[in-house]
Amino acid sequence: MKNPKTIIIIPAYNEEASIQKTIQTVIEFNYDYVIINDGSTDSTEEILTKNHYNHISLISNLGIGGAVQTGYKYAYENNYDIAIQFDADGQHDIKYIEKLIKPIQDNQVDLVIGSCFIDKSLKNQRSSKIRRFGIRFLSNFIKLFSGKRIYDPTSGFRAANRQIIQLFANNYPQEYPEPISNFELLRSHKFKIKEIPVTMNKRAAGKSSINARKTIYAGINVILSILILSLRRKSHD
Amino acid sequence: MTNLQIEMTIAALVLLVFIIMCLRRNSMSIKNSVAWLFLPIIFIVVAIFPEPLTALANWLGFETLSNFIFLITIALLILICFFLTISVSKQQSQITKLIQELSILKHDQNKKSKS
Repeated sequence: MKNPKTIIIIPAYNEEASIQKTIQTVIEFNYDYVIINDGSTDSTEEILTKNHYNHISLISNLGIGGAVQTGYKYAYENNYDIAIQFDADGQHDIKYIEKLIKPIQDNQVDLVIGSCFIDKSLKNQRSSKIRRFGIRFLSNFIKLFSGKRIYDPTSGFRAANRQIIQLFANNYPQEYPEPISNFELLRSHKFKIKEIPVTMNKRAAGKSSINARKTIYAGINVILSILILSLRRKSHD
Repeated sequence: MTNLQIEMTIAALVLLVFIIMCLRRNSMSIKNSVAWLFLPIIFIVVAIFPEPLTALANWLGFETLSNFIFLITIALLILICFFLTISVSKQQSQITKLIQELSILKHDQNKKSKS
Protein backbone atom coordinates (compact mmCIF):
# COMPACT_ATOMS: atom_id res chain seq x y z
CA MET A 1 0.00 0.00 0.00
CA LYS A 2 1.55 3.27 -1.08
CA ASN A 3 0.57 6.47 0.71
CA PRO A 4 -2.42 5.07 2.54
CA LYS A 5 -4.97 7.62 3.70
CA THR A 6 -4.51 7.57 7.46
CA ILE A 7 -6.64 9.03 10.22
CA ILE A 8 -6.26 9.19 13.98
CA ILE A 9 -9.42 8.64 16.02
CA ILE A 10 -9.32 10.42 19.37
CA PRO A 11 -12.21 9.80 21.75
CA ALA A 12 -12.52 12.51 24.40
CA TYR A 13 -14.60 12.62 27.53
CA ASN A 14 -13.85 15.51 29.90
CA GLU A 15 -10.30 15.98 28.68
CA GLU A 16 -10.05 19.77 29.00
CA ALA A 17 -6.68 19.50 30.76
CA SER A 18 -4.87 17.50 28.10
CA ILE A 19 -6.76 17.63 24.80
CA GLN A 20 -5.07 20.74 23.43
CA LYS A 21 -1.57 19.41 23.99
CA THR A 22 -2.45 16.05 22.45
CA ILE A 23 -4.01 17.57 19.34
CA GLN A 24 -1.14 20.01 18.87
CA THR A 25 1.33 17.11 18.59
CA VAL A 26 -1.00 15.32 16.18
CA ILE A 27 -1.17 18.43 14.01
CA GLU A 28 2.59 18.89 14.27
CA PHE A 29 3.10 15.43 12.85
CA ASN A 30 0.66 16.28 10.08
CA TYR A 31 -1.78 13.44 10.57
CA ASP A 32 -5.47 13.60 9.70
CA TYR A 33 -7.50 13.22 12.86
CA VAL A 34 -11.01 13.29 14.20
CA ILE A 35 -11.92 13.91 17.83
CA ILE A 36 -15.09 12.35 19.15
CA ASN A 37 -16.38 14.44 22.03
CA ASP A 38 -18.51 11.98 23.97
CA GLY A 39 -20.80 14.51 25.63
CA SER A 40 -18.13 16.04 27.84
CA THR A 41 -19.47 18.12 30.71
CA ASP A 42 -16.36 20.27 31.12
CA SER A 43 -14.92 22.83 28.69
CA THR A 44 -13.66 20.24 26.18
CA GLU A 45 -16.22 21.32 23.59
CA GLU A 46 -15.24 25.00 23.85
CA ILE A 47 -11.56 24.14 23.43
CA LEU A 48 -12.31 22.05 20.35
CA THR A 49 -14.50 24.71 18.77
CA LYS A 50 -12.24 27.63 19.64
CA ASN A 51 -9.21 25.96 18.05
CA HIS A 52 -11.19 24.73 15.02
CA TYR A 53 -10.14 21.16 15.68
CA ASN A 54 -11.88 18.61 13.48
CA HIS A 55 -14.34 17.10 15.92
CA ILE A 56 -17.64 15.29 16.10
CA SER A 57 -19.75 16.15 19.13
CA LEU A 58 -21.99 13.26 20.08
CA ILE A 59 -25.41 14.64 20.87
CA SER A 60 -25.60 12.33 23.86
CA ASN A 61 -23.01 10.41 25.88
CA LEU A 62 -22.39 6.93 24.49
CA GLY A 63 -19.40 5.60 26.42
CA ILE A 64 -16.01 4.67 25.05
CA GLY A 65 -17.21 1.93 22.69
CA GLY A 66 -19.86 4.04 20.99
CA ALA A 67 -17.49 7.01 20.74
CA VAL A 68 -14.67 5.06 19.12
CA GLN A 69 -17.14 3.36 16.78
CA THR A 70 -18.29 6.80 15.62
CA GLY A 71 -14.68 7.43 14.66
CA TYR A 72 -14.55 4.20 12.68
CA LYS A 73 -17.79 5.14 10.92
CA TYR A 74 -16.31 8.51 10.04
CA ALA A 75 -13.11 6.85 8.79
CA TYR A 76 -15.13 4.43 6.69
CA GLU A 77 -17.38 7.08 5.17
CA ASN A 78 -14.40 9.26 4.33
CA ASN A 79 -12.53 6.42 2.63
CA TYR A 80 -9.58 6.13 4.95
CA ASP A 81 -7.28 3.14 4.49
CA ILE A 82 -5.90 3.07 8.02
CA ALA A 83 -7.46 4.25 11.29
CA ILE A 84 -5.54 4.62 14.53
CA GLN A 85 -7.12 4.77 17.96
CA PHE A 86 -5.33 7.30 20.09
CA ASP A 87 -6.01 8.50 23.64
CA ALA A 88 -6.67 12.16 24.33
CA ASP A 89 -4.99 12.10 27.72
CA GLY A 90 -1.40 11.95 26.49
CA GLN A 91 -0.84 8.27 27.33
CA HIS A 92 0.10 7.34 23.80
CA ASP A 93 3.23 8.50 22.06
CA ILE A 94 2.70 9.88 18.57
CA LYS A 95 6.18 8.75 17.51
CA TYR A 96 5.04 5.12 17.53
CA ILE A 97 2.34 5.67 14.94
CA GLU A 98 4.71 5.17 12.06
CA LYS A 99 5.76 1.82 13.52
CA LEU A 100 2.15 0.95 14.23
CA ILE A 101 0.98 1.41 10.65
CA LYS A 102 4.05 -0.12 8.99
CA PRO A 103 2.84 -3.76 9.12
CA ILE A 104 -0.50 -2.67 7.61
CA GLN A 105 1.21 -0.66 4.88
CA ASP A 106 3.24 -3.73 4.03
CA ASN A 107 -0.02 -5.71 3.84
CA GLN A 108 1.25 -8.14 6.47
CA VAL A 109 -1.56 -7.80 8.99
CA ASP A 110 -5.03 -6.32 9.47
CA LEU A 111 -4.72 -4.94 12.98
CA VAL A 112 -1.71 -3.72 14.95
CA ILE A 113 -1.78 -3.31 18.71
CA GLY A 114 0.66 -1.07 20.52
CA SER A 115 1.57 -3.18 23.51
CA CYS A 116 3.51 -2.37 26.65
CA PHE A 117 3.91 -5.95 27.73
CA ILE A 118 5.91 -7.57 24.94
CA ASP A 119 9.27 -6.07 25.59
CA LYS A 120 10.00 -6.20 29.30
CA SER A 121 13.01 -3.95 28.93
CA LEU A 122 10.89 -1.03 27.82
CA LYS A 123 10.09 1.22 30.66
CA ASN A 124 6.47 0.92 31.45
CA GLN A 125 4.97 3.48 33.72
CA ARG A 126 1.44 2.84 32.90
CA SER A 127 -0.03 0.29 35.16
CA SER A 128 -0.48 -0.75 38.72
CA LYS A 129 0.34 -4.25 39.94
CA ILE A 130 -3.28 -5.32 40.08
CA ARG A 131 -3.85 -4.02 36.57
CA ARG A 132 -0.83 -5.93 35.23
CA PHE A 133 -2.04 -9.08 36.96
CA GLY A 134 -5.50 -8.56 35.49
CA ILE A 135 -4.11 -8.06 32.00
CA ARG A 136 -1.96 -11.19 32.24
CA PHE A 137 -4.97 -13.17 33.40
CA LEU A 138 -7.05 -11.80 30.55
CA SER A 139 -4.28 -12.57 28.08
CA ASN A 140 -4.20 -16.20 29.28
CA PHE A 141 -7.96 -16.37 29.14
CA ILE A 142 -8.07 -15.14 25.55
CA LYS A 143 -5.33 -17.64 24.66
CA LEU A 144 -7.40 -20.42 26.17
CA PHE A 145 -10.50 -19.58 24.16
CA SER A 146 -8.99 -18.40 20.88
CA GLY A 147 -5.73 -20.31 20.79
CA LYS A 148 -3.74 -17.14 20.23
CA ARG A 149 -1.78 -14.89 22.52
CA ILE A 150 -2.11 -11.15 22.86
CA TYR A 151 0.11 -9.69 25.54
CA ASP A 152 -1.79 -6.44 26.00
CA PRO A 153 -5.43 -7.07 25.07
CA THR A 154 -6.65 -3.88 26.74
CA SER A 155 -4.38 -1.50 24.88
CA GLY A 156 -6.33 1.39 23.35
CA PHE A 157 -3.49 2.16 20.95
CA ARG A 158 -4.39 0.28 17.77
CA ALA A 159 -4.19 0.64 14.03
CA ALA A 160 -6.73 -0.95 11.72
CA ASN A 161 -6.82 -1.48 7.97
CA ARG A 162 -9.79 -0.73 5.71
CA GLN A 163 -11.35 -4.14 6.21
CA ILE A 164 -11.30 -3.81 9.99
CA ILE A 165 -12.52 -0.21 9.77
CA GLN A 166 -15.57 -1.41 7.87
CA LEU A 167 -16.14 -4.22 10.33
CA PHE A 168 -15.86 -1.97 13.39
CA ALA A 169 -18.07 0.68 11.76
CA ASN A 170 -20.84 -1.90 11.60
CA ASN A 171 -20.17 -3.90 14.73
CA TYR A 172 -18.21 -2.75 17.74
CA PRO A 173 -18.53 -3.78 21.39
CA GLN A 174 -19.92 -0.94 23.47
CA GLU A 175 -18.23 -1.94 26.71
CA TYR A 176 -14.60 -2.91 27.24
CA PRO A 177 -14.25 -2.68 23.46
CA GLU A 178 -10.54 -3.46 23.06
CA PRO A 179 -10.24 -6.89 24.69
CA ILE A 180 -13.60 -7.99 23.34
CA SER A 181 -13.03 -6.87 19.75
CA ASN A 182 -9.49 -8.32 19.80
CA PHE A 183 -10.93 -11.62 20.95
CA GLU A 184 -13.63 -11.62 18.29
CA LEU A 185 -11.06 -10.95 15.57
CA LEU A 186 -8.80 -13.72 16.84
CA ARG A 187 -11.63 -16.18 17.05
CA SER A 188 -12.78 -15.57 13.51
CA HIS A 189 -9.35 -16.73 12.22
CA LYS A 190 -9.79 -14.42 9.24
CA PHE A 191 -7.62 -11.58 10.37
CA LYS A 192 -4.00 -11.20 11.29
CA ILE A 193 -3.16 -9.29 14.42
CA LYS A 194 0.28 -8.10 15.36
CA GLU A 195 1.56 -6.53 18.53
CA ILE A 196 4.44 -4.13 18.52
CA PRO A 197 6.21 -2.94 21.66
CA VAL A 198 5.51 0.64 22.72
CA THR A 199 6.05 2.65 25.85
CA MET A 200 3.16 4.55 27.29
CA ASN A 201 3.37 7.76 29.24
CA LYS A 202 1.72 8.50 32.46
CA ARG A 203 -1.50 10.20 31.58
CA ALA A 204 -0.90 13.93 31.42
CA ALA A 205 -4.22 14.58 33.10
CA GLY A 206 -7.57 13.07 33.81
CA LYS A 207 -8.47 9.75 35.33
CA SER A 208 -8.38 6.36 33.73
CA SER A 209 -11.81 5.12 32.83
CA ILE A 210 -10.85 1.97 34.74
CA ASN A 211 -9.59 2.67 38.26
CA ALA A 212 -8.26 0.19 40.78
CA ARG A 213 -11.60 -0.50 42.40
CA LYS A 214 -13.23 -1.11 39.06
CA THR A 215 -10.44 -3.33 37.77
CA ILE A 216 -11.80 -6.53 39.25
CA TYR A 217 -15.33 -5.70 38.20
CA ALA A 218 -14.12 -4.92 34.68
CA GLY A 219 -12.11 -8.14 34.59
CA ILE A 220 -15.10 -10.26 35.51
CA ASN A 221 -17.18 -8.44 32.94
CA VAL A 222 -14.71 -8.96 30.13
CA ILE A 223 -14.28 -12.63 30.99
CA LEU A 224 -18.04 -13.11 31.04
CA SER A 225 -18.32 -11.35 27.69
CA ILE A 226 -15.66 -13.60 26.20
CA LEU A 227 -17.42 -16.68 27.53
CA ILE A 228 -20.69 -15.52 26.02
CA LEU A 229 -19.02 -14.64 22.72
CA SER A 230 -17.52 -18.13 22.62
CA LEU A 231 -21.02 -19.51 22.63
CA ARG A 232 -22.36 -17.09 20.09
CA ARG A 233 -21.95 -17.80 16.41
CA LYS A 234 -19.02 -15.99 14.92
CA SER A 235 -20.17 -12.50 14.05
CA HIS A 236 -17.31 -11.76 11.67
CA ASP A 237 -17.81 -14.70 9.33
CA MET B 1 -70.19 -16.96 42.84
CA THR B 2 -67.98 -16.58 45.88
CA ASN B 3 -66.76 -13.19 47.06
CA LEU B 4 -63.27 -14.01 45.81
CA GLN B 5 -64.55 -14.69 42.31
CA ILE B 6 -66.41 -11.37 42.26
CA GLU B 7 -63.35 -9.47 43.53
CA MET B 8 -61.12 -11.05 40.92
CA THR B 9 -63.57 -10.32 38.11
CA ILE B 10 -63.81 -6.67 39.14
CA ALA B 11 -60.03 -6.31 39.43
CA ALA B 12 -59.53 -7.87 36.00
CA LEU B 13 -62.22 -5.62 34.51
CA VAL B 14 -60.52 -2.53 35.95
CA LEU B 15 -57.22 -3.68 34.43
CA LEU B 16 -58.91 -4.31 31.10
CA VAL B 17 -60.52 -0.87 31.06
CA PHE B 18 -57.20 0.72 31.99
CA ILE B 19 -55.40 -1.05 29.12
CA ILE B 20 -58.09 -0.06 26.64
CA MET B 21 -57.82 3.54 27.84
CA CYS B 22 -54.05 3.44 27.29
CA LEU B 23 -54.64 2.09 23.80
CA ARG B 24 -57.14 4.82 23.00
CA ARG B 25 -54.75 7.48 24.21
CA ASN B 26 -52.05 5.91 22.05
CA SER B 27 -49.69 5.53 25.02
CA MET B 28 -49.25 1.86 24.24
CA SER B 29 -48.82 0.39 20.80
CA ILE B 30 -51.33 -2.24 19.74
CA LYS B 31 -48.53 -4.70 19.06
CA ASN B 32 -47.24 -4.44 22.62
CA SER B 33 -50.69 -4.57 24.18
CA VAL B 34 -51.59 -8.11 23.09
CA ALA B 35 -50.02 -9.80 26.12
CA TRP B 36 -51.61 -7.28 28.47
CA LEU B 37 -55.05 -7.65 26.86
CA PHE B 38 -54.99 -11.42 27.20
CA LEU B 39 -54.11 -11.30 30.88
CA PRO B 40 -57.33 -9.74 32.27
CA ILE B 41 -59.48 -11.75 29.85
CA ILE B 42 -57.94 -14.97 31.14
CA PHE B 43 -58.42 -13.73 34.71
CA ILE B 44 -62.11 -13.13 34.08
CA VAL B 45 -62.65 -16.53 32.46
CA VAL B 46 -60.88 -18.26 35.34
CA ALA B 47 -62.81 -16.27 37.94
CA ILE B 48 -66.17 -17.21 36.43
CA PHE B 49 -65.30 -20.82 35.56
CA PRO B 50 -62.69 -21.99 38.06
CA GLU B 51 -63.49 -25.72 37.75
CA PRO B 52 -61.26 -26.65 34.79
CA LEU B 53 -58.30 -24.83 36.30
CA THR B 54 -58.89 -26.45 39.69
CA ALA B 55 -58.92 -29.85 38.04
CA LEU B 56 -55.69 -29.06 36.20
CA ALA B 57 -54.07 -27.80 39.41
CA ASN B 58 -55.07 -30.97 41.23
CA TRP B 59 -53.82 -33.13 38.42
CA LEU B 60 -50.46 -31.34 38.43
CA GLY B 61 -50.21 -31.89 42.18
CA PHE B 62 -50.87 -28.39 43.54
CA GLU B 63 -52.48 -28.35 46.96
CA THR B 64 -54.53 -25.23 46.35
CA LEU B 65 -55.67 -23.42 43.26
CA SER B 66 -54.18 -20.16 44.53
CA ASN B 67 -50.66 -21.61 44.52
CA PHE B 68 -51.14 -22.63 40.94
CA ILE B 69 -52.37 -19.17 39.96
CA PHE B 70 -49.45 -17.53 41.76
CA LEU B 71 -47.00 -19.73 39.90
CA ILE B 72 -48.56 -19.00 36.52
CA THR B 73 -48.69 -15.27 37.24
CA ILE B 74 -45.04 -15.14 38.32
CA ALA B 75 -43.99 -17.15 35.28
CA LEU B 76 -45.89 -14.77 33.05
CA LEU B 77 -44.30 -11.73 34.69
CA ILE B 78 -40.83 -13.21 34.25
CA LEU B 79 -41.61 -13.86 30.61
CA ILE B 80 -42.82 -10.30 30.03
CA CYS B 81 -39.73 -8.96 31.85
CA PHE B 82 -37.49 -11.09 29.69
CA PHE B 83 -39.01 -9.85 26.46
CA LEU B 84 -38.86 -6.29 27.74
CA THR B 85 -35.10 -6.71 28.31
CA ILE B 86 -34.69 -7.98 24.77
CA SER B 87 -36.58 -5.01 23.40
CA VAL B 88 -34.60 -2.57 25.57
CA SER B 89 -31.33 -4.05 24.27
CA LYS B 90 -32.52 -3.70 20.72
CA GLN B 91 -33.62 -0.13 21.28
CA GLN B 92 -30.32 0.69 22.94
CA SER B 93 -28.37 -0.34 19.87
CA GLN B 94 -30.80 1.52 17.63
CA ILE B 95 -30.40 4.68 19.72
CA THR B 96 -26.60 4.33 19.66
CA LYS B 97 -26.72 4.14 15.88
CA LEU B 98 -28.99 7.19 15.72
CA ILE B 99 -26.72 9.25 17.97
CA GLN B 100 -23.67 8.29 15.94
CA GLU B 101 -25.16 8.93 12.51
CA LEU B 102 -26.81 12.18 13.56
CA SER B 103 -23.64 13.47 15.19
CA ILE B 104 -21.58 12.68 12.07
CA LEU B 105 -24.24 14.34 9.91
CA LYS B 106 -24.19 17.48 12.05
CA HIS B 107 -20.40 17.55 11.84
CA ASP B 108 -20.49 17.25 8.04
CA GLN B 109 -23.12 19.95 7.75
CA ASN B 110 -21.15 22.32 9.99
CA LYS B 111 -18.12 21.80 7.82
CA LYS B 112 -20.08 22.42 4.64
CA SER B 113 -21.67 25.62 5.90
CA LYS B 114 -18.26 26.95 6.93
CA SER B 115 -16.51 26.27 3.65
